[in-house]
Amino acid sequence: MRNGFLFFIGLFCAAALSWAGVVLWPHLQMGSLVPYVDETEGKAYPLRLSGIAAQGQMVYDDLGCAACHTQQVRRPGFGSDKERGWGERQTVARDYIYETHVQLGDSRLGPDLANVGGRKTPYDAEDLYKLLYAGSGAMPAYKFLFEQRSIADRQPSDYALALRGNLAPAPGTEVVPTMRARALVTYLLSLNHTFEYPEARPVEPTAENEGEAK
Amino acid sequence: MSAMTSASTEVSEIDSSARGPISLLLAFALVWLVVSGALALLHFAQTLNPAFLADCAWLTYGRLRGLQETAFVYGWAGNAGVAIAVWLLGRLGGAALRSLNWLTVGALFWNLGVLLGLIGIARGDGSSTPFLRVPEYVQLLLLVAYAAMAIPGILAWTGRGRAQTFAAQWYAVAALFLFPWFFAAAQIVLVHFPVRGVVQAIGAVWYAQSLWNLWLASLALAAAYYLVPKLTGRVLPGYDFAAYGFWTLILVGGWIGGRHLVGGPVPAWVATIGIVSCQVLVFHYLIVAINLRGAFTGRGSTALSLVAYGVAAYLLGGLVDAVVSLRAIAVTTQFTWVTQAQTALALYGAFSLIAFGVIYFLVPRIANQPWPSAPLVRAHYAAALLGTGGLVLGLAVAGVIQGWGLLEAGLSFADIAARTRPWILVAAAGQAVLLAGNLVFLFHFARLLVKKPAVTAAELLRQPPTMEASVS
Repeated sequence: MRNGFLFFIGLFCAAALSWAGVVLWPHLQMGSLVPYVDETEGKAYPLRLSGIAAQGQMVYDDLGCAACHTQQVRRPGFGSDKERGWGERQTVARDYIYETHVQLGDSRLGPDLANVGGRKTPYDAEDLYKLLYAGSGAMPAYKFLFEQRSIADRQPSDYALALRGNLAPAPGTEVVPTMRARALVTYLLSLNHTFEYPEARPVEPTAENEGEAK
Repeated sequence: MSAMTSASTEVSEIDSSARGPISLLLAFALVWLVVSGALALLHFAQTLNPAFLADCAWLTYGRLRGLQETAFVYGWAGNAGVAIAVWLLGRLGGAALRSLNWLTVGALFWNLGVLLGLIGIARGDGSSTPFLRVPEYVQLLLLVAYAAMAIPGILAWTGRGRAQTFAAQWYAVAALFLFPWFFAAAQIVLVHFPVRGVVQAIGAVWYAQSLWNLWLASLALAAAYYLVPKLTGRVLPGYDFAAYGFWTLILVGGWIGGRHLVGGPVPAWVATIGIVSCQVLVFHYLIVAINLRGAFTGRGSTALSLVAYGVAAYLLGGLVDAVVSLRAIAVTTQFTWVTQAQTALALYGAFSLIAFGVIYFLVPRIANQPWPSAPLVRAHYAAALLGTGGLVLGLAVAGVIQGWGLLEAGLSFADIAARTRPWILVAAAGQAVLLAGNLVFLFHFARLLVKKPAVTAAELLRQPPTMEASVS
């Protein structure tokens, strides 16, 4: 280490090597993934996000939803993702090519959201609004995404929540999701990674392939 | 006066000339440490009761996590790490630090950047990328400010008085030099010209891992490699191997991020390289253990004891990483509190404890007066160890329970939360003890800075060991 210049070159090359290997190499491998065209349906998958869903993704990002929710389904047999109804197949790289900011997440204090819009028993917008407005046992309420306003001198909003019981707003008022809430719910309902890409066919775990399966 | 000459290497011009800038950095660091502790405590309160502060849009659960992490890493660890690295490069360089104005100006802008970053995250301008949550508009400011802060350290290295170098210098220079490198690279591929799809997720784990191994761990090791021989008064055993340990960390450190993506939508080799690199890195931990084993047998000062616990946490963290990265275990522990226990072990255990040790050592030397109160040192010492232990243990057990719960497909998330609740309480109690201890530390540091020296400098020089706040 007597030669200072060589020391800096070594440091630089070591960091550059890991950058090339960990970031650049996957980029070369997957950076130009193209959508898969399904000839029978005449559509290319994955579908692009609509404008409002893309805004919803930004809301998801800035509220920090990824602190509790992942958006990645592991393959059947590796964890209980399939049994929990989060998806029939593992998510693959192609599912994410149109996402401007990928939110794989690293913590599951709540359910995985990769297939909110494509489950066997799908949520509808009303469920998601109610969940966001009232919260649940383990999830906080996001009341600031809603506006409570008087309906004394105007038509009730088409988007007003149908709330009953102790959640019902005071008489003469209604609870309306803000633009941010609507964008967020649209985004969540657009999350649907159910199309069967060739590379996404689940490998059923058997005694022989357990070791080598991905 | 003979005592004075023998002690002149202990308190010298090198230290006193750096008093202002280093004290400034440490003051900022301790304030951020307390801020991040308070935010972390709020975060635990929300974990235990999701309705807590839920109506406050600035403090959603996700944003609070980003806030406390950013205040800790960029506020506390960034300031403290740079202060320690620059100080020890000056000492080992054998000359007074030059261009310290760069350090002062850089520190002011760096902390402005951290403050703006926190406000930005609270307002919703940040992102969910772990450890890179600050909004785009402060990233460049942080980068430039850091480069300015690193200048005196790099100058002390290039202009050092002797050709021979020490392990502490390698780690310090590597941390000062490499952080801007991968911080800039991460900004380019994640923010300015985002790569496509899941390559972003790979870039994010690469950044988070480099941040730990090449920056914070390197800073902590620099401090440990400097302090352990100094405080034990013995040559490091197996020092010839230190260079291998260093280059293993630098070469392999950036590669192990992929282990977080086991089972994820990325090619399997990304995770496999991460896991294999984790095992290779055990070689580095082995060398560190051999070199620094004197810390565990040496007796005496609080500083040495804190460094010893920090090194132990560092080694334990490395072994836990190597085990938990294996697929058979990751299937359970992935996405659980175990990951956060590992982060806490690294950041609160390894980095903070070593940094506390060094700060107890260096502040009396740059300020030229001893710590005012031994009971306060003792209180902080106890709180740091107890709090870190509670935090890591609580999170780890909660994580294992959560992992088993997640595997039971029929168990709802509310039930899992109920099962982990007692252990989250343990972790929260640990965090509260840490916060109390760090408040004591901040108060003590402030008192030392404003207090007039009760002991004359000559008296101090005659007994250098008294400055290490020996309480054991």
